[in-house]
Amino acid sequence: MSPALTRVSSALATLALWLSAAGLIGMTLAVAWQVFGRYVLNSTPTWTEALSIQLMGWFILLGAAVGVREGYHLGFDILRIALPGRPARLMALVSHLVVLAFGLAMVWYSWDLVVGTWTATIPILGWPGGIDFLPLLGGGALISFFTLEHLYNLAAGHDDGTGA
Amino acid sequence: MSPELIILFGSFVALLLIGTPIAFCLGAASLATVVYMGIPPLVVFQRLNSGISVFSLMAIPFFIYAGDLMIRGGIAERLVRFAGSLVGHMRGGLGQVNIAASTLFGGISGSAVADASAIGGLMIPQMQKRGYDTSFAVNVTVSSAIIALLIPPSHNMIIYSLSAGGSISIADLFTAGIVPGLLLAATLMLVTWFVARKRGYPAEPFPGWARVATYAVSAFPGIILIGIIFGGVRSGVFTATESSCIAAVYALLITVLVYRGMNLAEFKDATFAAVRTTAMVLLVIGCAAAFGWLLAFFQVPSAMVAFMRSISNDPIVIFLLINLLLLFLGTFMDMSPLIIITTPIFLPVVTAFGMDPVHFGAILILNLGIGLCTPPVGAVLFVGCAVGRISIWEAMRTIWPFYGASIAVLMLVTYVPAISLWLPSMFR
Repeated sequence: MSPALTRVSSALATLALWLSAAGLIGMTLAVAWQVFGRYVLNSTPTWTEALSIQLMGWFILLGAAVGVREGYHLGFDILRIALPGRPARLMALVSHLVVLAFGLAMVWYSWDLVVGTWTATIPILGWPGGIDFLPLLGGGALISFFTLEHLYNLAAGHDDGTGA
Repeated sequence: MSPELIILFGSFVALLLIGTPIAFCLGAASLATVVYMGIPPLVVFQRLNSGISVFSLMAIPFFIYAGDLMIRGGIAERLVRFAGSLVGHMRGGLGQVNIAASTLFGGISGSAVADASAIGGLMIPQMQKRGYDTSFAVNVTVSSAIIALLIPPSHNMIIYSLSAGGSISIADLFTAGIVPGLLLAATLMLVTWFVARKRGYPAEPFPGWARVATYAVSAFPGIILIGIIFGGVRSGVFTATESSCIAAVYALLITVLVYRGMNLAEFKDATFAAVRTTAMVLLVIGCAAAFGWLLAFFQVPSAMVAFMRSISNDPIVIFLLINLLLLFLGTFMDMSPLIIITTPIFLPVVTAFGMDPVHFGAILILNLGIGLCTPPVGAVLFVGCAVGRISIWEAMRTIWPFYGASIAVLMLVTYVPAISLWLPSMFR
C-alpha cells in the first residue's frame, strides 16, 4: 500500500478506536443511568438496556477491527514464531487470507441481514431491525480492509510485526 | 466422526496452529462447516450477533475498565503500603507483602496480568533492593497473581457463566472463588516463609498499629469497591452488569476526586486499554456462539460424556483427567478463549459425574490461572519476567515450590467441594 493509503488506514484505525472508546463510555453512562433511575428517580428507564446493547455491538466490532490492524488478537502464535522465515510467512499469508475471507463474508451476509430485517422493529427503541446488524457490516468492512493492508505489507516484504 | 465434525474441528485446529486469531479460527471453522452442510452461511453471523447482544456480557468490559481506572489512579501503591504494614514483619517480609497486596488487588481487578504488572512493578524493584533474588521476586509475583482471578470481581467467572449458557449464578460464582483464593494466598505465604528461611531473606520491622490504621484509611476507598460489587450482587440490589458499571463509575470518581491521581490523558489511556483488552475477548465469545451452536447441533457434549464414561466411571479419575487436560491446554493457550471453548465440552461431563457447575467454575479458573504462569505461553509469567528483567528460564529454575503449592490447592479445590461451595451455601 502506498504511503497515502497507509495514512488512510491509520486514520481509519484511530477513528475506529475513538468510536469504540466512545461506545464503552456510552454503555457505562446508559447503565449508570439505569441504576440511578431505579434507586434515585424511582422509575427505571426501559431504553438503557436496549441502547447499551447497540453500543456494545459497535464497541466490540470496531475494537476488534483495530485489533486486526494492530495484531493484538488472542491466538496461538508460538509455532509461527519458532519456525524459520519461509514457512512462517506462508502461515501468515494463509492466516491473513482466511481472516480476509471471513471479513468479506461478514460484510456480504450482514448486508443480507440488514436488508432482510429492516422492516422489523427493535423493541423499546423503535428503530428498524436491520440496525442490529450494522456493527457486523462496518466491522467486517474494516477487518477486510486492515487485512488487505497486512497482505500488501507481506507481499512487499515489510515485516509489520503484527503477525496475523 | 462425521465429515461435518472433521471439517469443524480440523479447520479450527489447523487455523489455530498457523497462528490465526482464535476468534477467526472459531468463525471460519463454523462458516466452512455450515457451507459444507448446505445451510445458509448467514446463520453464522446471526449467531455471532446474538452472541454479542447479551446484556450480561457488558460486565466484562466494565470490570476491566474499573480495574484499568483504579490502577492508573494509584491504587496499587496504597494497597502495597497497607499490605506492607500488615505482613511485612513476617519472615520473607516483602514476599509476604507481595502476596497480601495481590489478594487485596484481587478485590479491585480480576485480571492476573494487571496484578503482575501493577503489584510486580512496585514490589520486584523493592525486593531487589532489599537483597532478594530477582527470580524469587518474580516467582512470588507471578504465582500470587492467580489469587486476583479468584477473589471477586472476576470477569473470567462471568465469561464462564456465559459460556455455560448464562444459567449459573454469577453471585454464587463470585462467592465460590473467595475461599480458594484465600487458601491459595495462605499456601503461597507458607511456601514463601520456608524459602525465605532457607535463603535467609529478611523481615521488615512492624511499623506499629497507628501506621497500619493510617495506611488502611488511605487504601479504604479502593478496598470498599469489593464491598460494593460483592454486596450489590449478593443482595440482589444490582445485577452483575449493573454492579460492574457502578464499579467503573466509582473507580473514576475515586481516582479523580479522592486520590486525585488521574488527568485526561490517563483517562484516555485507561479507556483505550479497556477497549483493546476486551473487544477481542468479546469477539471470541461471539464467534464461539456460532461454534457452540454447531457443537450442540452435532451433540458433541453428550458424545464427550459417553467417551469419558468409556474411560472410567470413577469421578476421581475423570476430574483428574480433565484437570490434566486443562493444565496442558493452559500451558500454551490464553485463559479466556480456553474458558469459552472448553466449558461447553467439559461442563456436561463433570455435571454428569455429579459435580456442581459452581464448583467446576472455581476449578476451571484456578487451573487455567496456573496455565498463565507456565511457558511456552503464559501471559503472567511473561509480564513478571519483563518487570524483573530476567529470562523465562531463570524464573523457571526456582518456581517449582510455587507451582507445587498452586497445584496442591487445585487438587484440594477439586476434591473437597466444600472449599468452593460452603460459602455460597451460607448465602442461600
